Amino acid sequence: MRAQVDRLEQGRRAETGAPRLRTGRLWSLYGVWYRHVQVYRQTLWANALPPVLEPLLFFSAIAFGLGPYLPSFEGMPYRAFIASGIIATSAMFTGAFETTFGTFVRLVFQRTYDSMLGTHLEVSEMFTGELLFTATKGLVFSAIVMGITAAFGVRLNPWCALVPLVGAATGYLFGALGLVVCSYVKTINNFNFFLSGVISPMFFFSGTFFPIRGIHPVLDVISQIVPLTHAVELSRALYRGAFETSHLWNLGALALYTVALHVIAIRRMQRRVVG
Amino acid sequence: MAEPIVQGQKLTKRYGELVAVDAVDFDVARGECVAFLGPNGAGKTTLMRMVFSAVARSEGELRVFGLTPIDDRKRINAAVGVVFQENNLDEELDVLDNLRIYAKYCGLDRRTARRRCAELLELMSLSEKAQSKVRELSGGMMRRLMIARALLGDPRLLILDEPTTGLDPQVRHAIWAVLRRLKREGLTILLTTHYMEEAQALADRVTIMDRGKIILCGPPARLIEEQMERFVLQAAGLERRPRVPDSVRHEQVGDADYFYCAAEEPLRALAGELPPSGVVLRHANLEDVFFKFTGRGLHE
Repeated sequence: MRAQVDRLEQGRRAETGAPRLRTGRLWSLYGVWYRHVQVYRQTLWANALPPVLEPLLFFSAIAFGLGPYLPSFEGMPYRAFIASGIIATSAMFTGAFETTFGTFVRLVFQRTYDSMLGTHLEVSEMFTGELLFTATKGLVFSAIVMGITAAFGVRLNPWCALVPLVGAATGYLFGALGLVVCSYVKTINNFNFFLSGVISPMFFFSGTFFPIRGIHPVLDVISQIVPLTHAVELSRALYRGAFETSHLWNLGALALYTVALHVIAIRRMQRRVVG
Repeated sequence: MAEPIVQGQKLTKRYGELVAVDAVDFDVARGECVAFLGPNGAGKTTLMRMVFSAVARSEGELRVFGLTPIDDRKRINAAVGVVFQENNLDEELDVLDNLRIYAKYCGLDRRTARRRCAELLELMSLSEKAQSKVRELSGGMMRRLMIARALLGDPRLLILDEPTTGLDPQVRHAIWAVLRRLKREGLTILLTTHYMEEAQALADRVTIMDRGKIILCGPPARLIEEQMERFVLQAAGLERRPRVPDSVRHEQVGDADYFYCAAEEPLRALAGELPPSGVVLRHANLEDVFFKFTGRGLHE
């Protein structure tokens, strides 16, 4: 296999006379991911404040304000119930914001993708690398929010170590959804329809603040359709350390949404960027 | 002619009804510098973007290093460097980080990246600015950084889209000097420009484009010789027109008059009859060829 790759590589250089470059997919994804991390680091404090502070405000307002009056939900104290929910939503927000406003600015104003098009990067690598970055943000911010809620007295168990992975998957999934939306959007204001019309209502339909099951059959169906529900359910199961077969369905739905949205996002961005 | 590195046949790009590039035939030989000249909207940038797979072609054939753009994007672009018309540097980062990140896109290993960054900063006289933020640089420095960036992967073909538009004459000449040096070292260069002077200073062949079509192609000196009378008398704001001899071709655009002639003497005589201010007698240049074929009026 290695010899075959070397021969191909020699053939490539014979055709173009180019020097030896690492053009493998993993290197390319790493290059794009690295760029986003470097640029994000420059504005870390301004950028990282909302995804940490907002869930924290929700948490303190609701868990401390409302919590004492509420019974335990689904076998967990309300404080833990809410903490496990907002971890998933913070990963959702950080993913969706990055690939709506962030991607649009890079696409139209900063022309970042243009600069990438001048290299051997494939469009699929450019945007997969970007989604790996939103997954990284989902991972990091869900871990931070988990740590803070723990400091406020939410009890953790060893399974909670897997919660940031749910955050990473959520970041990737909503990053891909944001890219799909971004591929259609002509002016930056249009994102408000998506954020207020789709992302914010997901708070409600995914059972972040209260159990949605059993309120109304229609809500039951909707809650199973919206992808955030599955992330919230998984995060909650990890917090409880108790699993049911329904969680396999949550895992499957999350994977299915992620793969489908990834495929659509790459295809759409290919069309938007190269035409 | 040496083997072509880029070859287009009946190459066409449509955007809906608009035909941006219209059945164009062209080629670029190894080691050659070809300049594409044309008014805004002539299709120059679209043509360049098809070469490095940033725009998909609608019809026709295009081969780069014998490979097909879009299908072989990776293999082609591993040997191509691109300098864009618009600044697309990462302005939040410093000069060196911009190069490092691009080196990662290109797939250079760390040691090679370090060496290339130092060499190219030196080449573009940016070594002292390595730690400066991009947004603190002047326009000329940004453009030099974009050229350095395009050269990181040691390309065999360099594509420049209006490399010196908006820059002062000193920077422009410095950039030309670097490009000529790269060309001497064997680099093939494809560039678009508005500046006739630039085309004349750099290009082995000039290709004039207008409304998506190639109108004329050849070495600049030959184009001028074949297409134009040798001398031009140019005057502005004439209140009455002199009588023009048969050997002189006369053209009037707005308040300007142009008189063309193969010999200098009739134009000298004509100049004697005109008020001295605003009258220039000169050799025909590439700009005259350009105007002859694309018209002197506005193109919007």
